[in-house]
Amino acid sequence: MTAPEETRVALITGGSKGLGAGLVEAYLAAGYVVETCSRSATDQVDLWAKEFPDHFGFASVDVSDSAAADAWVKDVARRRGRIDVLVNNAGVAPEGVIALFSDDQIDQVVDLNIKGTAYVTRAASRVMLARRSGSIVNVSSVVGMSGYRGLSMYSATKAALDGMTRGLARELGSRGITVNSVAPGYLRTEMSHGLDETQLTQITRRTPAGRLGEPSDVARAVLFLTDPANTYITGQVLVVDGGLTA
Amino acid sequence: MTDQDKTLAVITQFLTRADKSTDDVSPTTGLYGDGLELDSLEAAELSAMLEDEFGNDPFSSGDELPQTVGDILAFYEVAAPA
Repeated sequence: MTAPEETRVALITGGSKGLGAGLVEAYLAAGYVVETCSRSATDQVDLWAKEFPDHFGFASVDVSDSAAADAWVKDVARRRGRIDVLVNNAGVAPEGVIALFSDDQIDQVVDLNIKGTAYVTRAASRVMLARRSGSIVNVSSVVGMSGYRGLSMYSATKAALDGMTRGLARELGSRGITVNSVAPGYLRTEMSHGLDETQLTQITRRTPAGRLGEPSDVARAVLFLTDPANTYITGQVLVVDGGLTA
Repeated sequence: MTDQDKTLAVITQFLTRADKSTDDVSPTTGLYGDGLELDSLEAAELSAMLEDEFGNDPFSSGDELPQTVGDILAFYEVAAPA
């Protein structure tokens, strides 16, 4: 189904749970058509499909598979007729010291967090280039800037995304496409399950806002950066961490 | 409108919005250098517009990159069903 001309279309990777689900909720509430993917569906995905039959779409896609990622984006563009927003959220956060990481663990985090983002962005940027319009947000992390013990590979991939953001902003800016990163602090989602309660309590104590973040905190920042009026903010990393790294 | 006319229409649309001259565009016109002087981003943009219109494009086909307008026209002539 092609969206009406005035309905903006958002592509959100990894939207079936956690922060991604919060992003999907926010864009649906803002009136967007939302297309999301993850490796498998969740009950929440089924609920959205029933509640928003015309405005929500889901596909089981592993974006670290180049052909699958490309086919998904092309299918969305064909069905919806446009892609206004891309939020690269899909990622994994393997926890552990690098001295004990296997090749497979290293490959998995690089393949999904960096290469998957590149595959989806490559395909979606072509749709945006044809229309000379679009907004891309890469969901990075404060640990990409500060690092965190036990999250070294995850930190490396998130720092890479910030570099990708700056490069793409320069590459696509003249064609009306903005590219920014949002770097969340520590959220109470399954992505933080590798941290024990002592670590989470310590993080909370050091956070000026006095709490862990919620997906909605991050979603509001992403919505702001992809607002069609915000065409003069690009190449930036917006930290959403309750002041932890201030 | 023939397939060639449709392809030329997309190329002309691209050149117009890229503020490039549409005069004297012929099959022998080069895409880079002394021809249309496309840079890499402009080539990507034309590639995306062609794919948007026809579903595929000669820049992403995995074959050699087109060098002339004629190479683009030939790609769609070959790709078209008999």
